[in-house]
Amino acid sequence: MRLYLLLAGARLRGQTQYRVSFALQVASSFTSTFVELLALLILFRTFSSLGGWSVGEVAFLYGLASVSFALAELFGEGLEQASRMIREGEFDRVLTRPVAPLLQVLAADIQPRRIGRLAQGILALALAGRWTTIDWTPLKAALFIGAIASTAVVFLTVFLIGAAICFWTIESSEFQNIFTYGGTELASNPLQIYSRWLQGIFLYIVPLGLTTFYPAAHILAKPDPFGLPPFTPFLAPLVAALFLGLGLLIWGLGLRQYQSTGS
Amino acid sequence: MPLVHVEHLQKRFRVAERGGGPLGALRRVISREGRGVREVAAVEDISFAIGRGEMVAYVGPNGAGKSTTIKMLTGILVPSGGSVVVDGLIPWRQRTMLAARIGVVFGQRTQLWWDLPLIESLRLLRHIYKVPEGRYREKLARLTDLLDLGPFLDRPVRQLSLGQRMRGDLAASLLHDPKILYLDEPTIGLDVVAKERIRTFLLDLNRREGVTVLLTTHDMADISRLCERMLIIDHGKLLYDGGVGAIAERYGGERRLVVDLAEDVAAPAVPGARLERREGTRLWLSFRREEIGAPALIAALTARYAIRDLTLEEPDIEAVVRRIYEEGLP
Repeated sequence: MRLYLLLAGARLRGQTQYRVSFALQVASSFTSTFVELLALLILFRTFSSLGGWSVGEVAFLYGLASVSFALAELFGEGLEQASRMIREGEFDRVLTRPVAPLLQVLAADIQPRRIGRLAQGILALALAGRWTTIDWTPLKAALFIGAIASTAVVFLTVFLIGAAICFWTIESSEFQNIFTYGGTELASNPLQIYSRWLQGIFLYIVPLGLTTFYPAAHILAKPDPFGLPPFTPFLAPLVAALFLGLGLLIWGLGLRQYQSTGS
Repeated sequence: MPLVHVEHLQKRFRVAERGGGPLGALRRVISREGRGVREVAAVEDISFAIGRGEMVAYVGPNGAGKSTTIKMLTGILVPSGGSVVVDGLIPWRQRTMLAARIGVVFGQRTQLWWDLPLIESLRLLRHIYKVPEGRYREKLARLTDLLDLGPFLDRPVRQLSLGQRMRGDLAASLLHDPKILYLDEPTIGLDVVAKERIRTFLLDLNRREGVTVLLTTHDMADISRLCERMLIIDHGKLLYDGGVGAIAERYGGERRLVVDLAEDVAAPAVPGARLERREGTRLWLSFRREEIGAPALIAALTARYAIRDLTLEEPDIEAVVRRIYEEGLP
């Protein structure tokens, strides 16, 4: 952990040497993600509800997914860089050091500009707070924090699997973007509005539905459209942990498979 | 027990033939069929042992399998066959443990943090290798002195010259007192002065601290200056393992005498020597050690012609190695 902080800190110091571009990146990250939120609000000028959810409730779900994704991006930037490291043979260096490769990859890059998206997610949650009346209990608060952490872990795992796939193909995978950017999009709206197979994927394969939609529905006291057991919202941390385990397994297999690049 | 022990080492890569069309990549990922998978042997069958304190050159043309061997020695790659043991450890299985005992310098790729001052990189490496503070300070002072890092310790690595960066990289790879240092083309792209500085440092390191060094290089001057032993590989097989001086004697074959004649001679000929080239009154004669000695040849020449000047050229390793690459061992 200490080593992670040292390495990530070094990376941060390297970045902040370019101050102007750093400030610009934060601003542009905020603006580009803010447009998404704006689109959501405009949509609700025409429709009063989406799958039985009001604007405030959807903003809550959207904020939850957004904050989680921003956290995953903030800490998972190194994993996004891993495909390049593997392709260009930079990964060799990682393997000559007496530190777990995953830790080195995670610490290789950290992108504070992602706080742009984080700020925007918090804004969405604040709006949701004004537009809905949530009956907060300690359990709901814990579920809320747990949902954010679990969702961030699921997104991080998607990055991890995406990086691990590069060990086999040495080709950057669009696959990952489908599940990350596509995943936030999906996790931001009530799950029942999507087609059955998309619902299936996001409940049982990449379990974002279980870490965002179900906890949010419970907190907002919305009915469960799929009739899963009533404890389903509380499975989020377990599901995220299982998914992470799967990701680590694939990463481990990939490491064994690593072929390096010629000469 | 030698420090490095390699036996019948082999590495084959599977190379996917690129399927056509924009969906080729997808198809290759999804199905195993429809993509021709070729096996390419980068290392076929290599065996050698390196003792503690040796400084060995590992030589071969591009694509011969040098880097692949080093990657198996460091645990980056898993061998397809044969065995490797380094300092009692199996690299690919005990990679992390081995990593703390070896140093690796890739000449073309720095291990330093590009945007940070050199000293910061060294500090980070101290934590990565868990070097105790006191030992680190001692080591840093010594390396700073030997490699003359002082003037640019506080400069970001991206602003360093290639020679300075290489000195920084050497310091970085030695902070944790590795038993063996792998150098992959450490002098590539450097000017004469910078090269010499690095060679002097490496010699000193090897002699005084007994660090074992395995060096790949295309620069024959590195080899003749630094190493007593060399391994030559090509097409993934070991062609030669022996003394650097011995190879010139054994396979160098021809020495050369350059003669400046006082006057033009129509068809100069000396028994035992072959006229290799001629430019006006200057002759290049090559001859074999076993056929005629240099004094006898010179005596024969002076007996026949009036001579202004003479130079004797020993075969250089470069020529020998080039011949071995091209023709294989005689």
